[in-house]
Amino acid sequence: MKRTIIALALIAAAAMAFGQGTIKIGATWPLADITGKQGSMAAQQAVDEINKAGGVLGRQLELIIIDDELKADKAAAAIEKLVTVDNVDLIIGGMSSGVALGQVPAMKKYGKVVVSTGAASSTVEAALGADADWYFHLHPWDYNQGASYRQGWDEIQVKYSNVKIKKIFLAYEEGAFGKGSFDQTKILFAADGRYIVDGAPFKSAAQGGGDYGSVLEAAKMAKPDLFLWAGWDADALPILEQAKAMKFSPGLFGGAPPGWPVGFGTSRLSENVVFYGMWAPSINEVSPASKKFYDGFVAKYKLEPATYFAPLSYSAVYIVADAIKRAGSTDTAALIKALEATKYESPLGQTITFTPAKIIKHQGVKNQKILQWQKGRQEVIWPFESATAKPVYPFPKWK
Amino acid sequence: MANKRNLTIGVLLGVAVLVILAWRPTVLIYGLQAAGLYASIAIPMGLILGIVHIVNLAHGEFMMAASYLTYMICRASGMDPYLALVPVAAVTAVFGFLVYKLTIRRALKAPELNQLILTFGLAILLTQAANLLFTSQTRKLSFDYVSASVDIGELSFGIYNFVFVAVAVAMVVGLRLFLTRTTTGKAALAVGQNPRGAAIVGIDVDRTYAFVFSLASALVGLMGAAFITRSSIFPTVGSPFTMKSFCLIAMAGVGNIPGILASSVLLGISENFLKAFRGTRGWADIVFFVLIITVILGRSIRGKKA
Repeated sequence: MKRTIIALALIAAAAMAFGQGTIKIGATWPLADITGKQGSMAAQQAVDEINKAGGVLGRQLELIIIDDELKADKAAAAIEKLVTVDNVDLIIGGMSSGVALGQVPAMKKYGKVVVSTGAASSTVEAALGADADWYFHLHPWDYNQGASYRQGWDEIQVKYSNVKIKKIFLAYEEGAFGKGSFDQTKILFAADGRYIVDGAPFKSAAQGGGDYGSVLEAAKMAKPDLFLWAGWDADALPILEQAKAMKFSPGLFGGAPPGWPVGFGTSRLSENVVFYGMWAPSINEVSPASKKFYDGFVAKYKLEPATYFAPLSYSAVYIVADAIKRAGSTDTAALIKALEATKYESPLGQTITFTPAKIIKHQGVKNQKILQWQKGRQEVIWPFESATAKPVYPFPKWK
Repeated sequence: MANKRNLTIGVLLGVAVLVILAWRPTVLIYGLQAAGLYASIAIPMGLILGIVHIVNLAHGEFMMAASYLTYMICRASGMDPYLALVPVAAVTAVFGFLVYKLTIRRALKAPELNQLILTFGLAILLTQAANLLFTSQTRKLSFDYVSASVDIGELSFGIYNFVFVAVAVAMVVGLRLFLTRTTTGKAALAVGQNPRGAAIVGIDVDRTYAFVFSLASALVGLMGAAFITRSSIFPTVGSPFTMKSFCLIAMAGVGNIPGILASSVLLGISENFLKAFRGTRGWADIVFFVLIITVILGRSIRGKKA
């Protein structure tokens, strides 16, 4: 009897020790999408790097990833499972705003620390409310993005006097992303009369569309100085091909997809197309953190990161690891306090700190970058402190 | 009386076309181009539905798979998709034959719901296989000829997409000749109209079905190769075209292949007409369903009167 009790006690102690052995980070991403796929790969890369260097507080990190399949119900169920079955210490990840909205009630229920890599729509912020002090949002909100584009184009016109923008035309995909982008552009660019904003919707190739003739005709008639399209990567090359066929050459030709098709930069059509983003491989030249991330990713996966969700997710892991180290535990209150003091030199080419947004208390990145395809490379043209090239202006006439 | 009515409709349509041409010629240009694409994707599905009597819900996914095959061939060899379409069509014909023999054939006598579930399952299988092999990142082959254009005064427009009009017309003419002039085609037509009767007179119904399924798959393969010149490809690129094709066939009436082309023209021009107005640009999908409901309802009322 005595031996049995001792054996059981030993087993229990071993189980407890094993449970304490790893710090569990739960994560959800859409794994069939390039953003979630590469985001999860980069997060695993960060976990492996940290573990190789000895882990955090003498413990190894363990990343538990669940595919949210870009569905709000699956994503909400994933939060439930991560918290109640996997007993994770904190949660990272996310991409789509609609999916994040579905997760908010479960996140609120458990109050675990969340470091979110996705959700640009401010409707998510409204759903979270001001009390969500456990929520740390890395990705900029839509109004942050709009404000930074406005600031960017204003500053570019001051620095490069040959760049003149008055009329902006936004071709936007019919869904929530495109419509939201158009609404924000109107608010942030046209409100004070400095810019004239016009736009028209189109059905994205991602939704079975892909015919841009009528929207490009409307844009051509508007004679914009800056033409932008807000859609998906499937629209990138076909819209340029049709613009070329229609001889539509605005002063600046831009796009705002979350990622680019494979080999976009090798197409001659990509030359001098401007776009918005958070990261590009060219940032390696101005940021050692970016180079470290990039080299590690390529070495591990034999693949180039193709979306900014990769460095963003990589950053999320390093930020939580650093906070756990400073907090000395994974206790929620201590962790929140440590995360609030974050100062992380990220691969995005900027230092991430958390400051208040319109509603939530902890907003990480607040600005996007303006980039341009030049000779097959994604060059940063704004902000100037992380710029890798000067803007090429105007967009050349089609030959 | 009927002649007078047809003449009136013809004159009205002619006037409408002339008015559109004078007001916004691009409505007609882009409308016809869209119609060519819709029709050339829908016609192979119409062939299967008309003869094998099965709704292939994996139709768009067959085209997606053919597009990926074309992509791989072109990337590896530097070949143009229009040269690659011959081997691609051959591969998809064999693929179609195998799919028919291994799956479709066994469900022909099953309830229609089971047939739908089977082809829906095939669609999911193909989409997920593409996802695993190629990820969801989009791919596109870019060619200068896709941006070929014509200038008429101030108007510049792309002419490349007229290729799909030519493909659709070639499919309609080719299939009509095949079905009415060749022994195999006549047998296929007979099987489509009355499989039991065709079997009684000695036609091998199963072989005919297999042949038609393979032929339609080859045509889808051909379209998959042409499609990648125009559009980006990704695992779910085909599924919207399955629904659109099915609806066009429903508008035309099962077995009416020239009718698919006519329905596509009506749809393409209507969509682009609405896109020309600022307030109705987002209504293209609505006009699609309005047209389908109107045509099917009209046919049903006419049938009741008859």
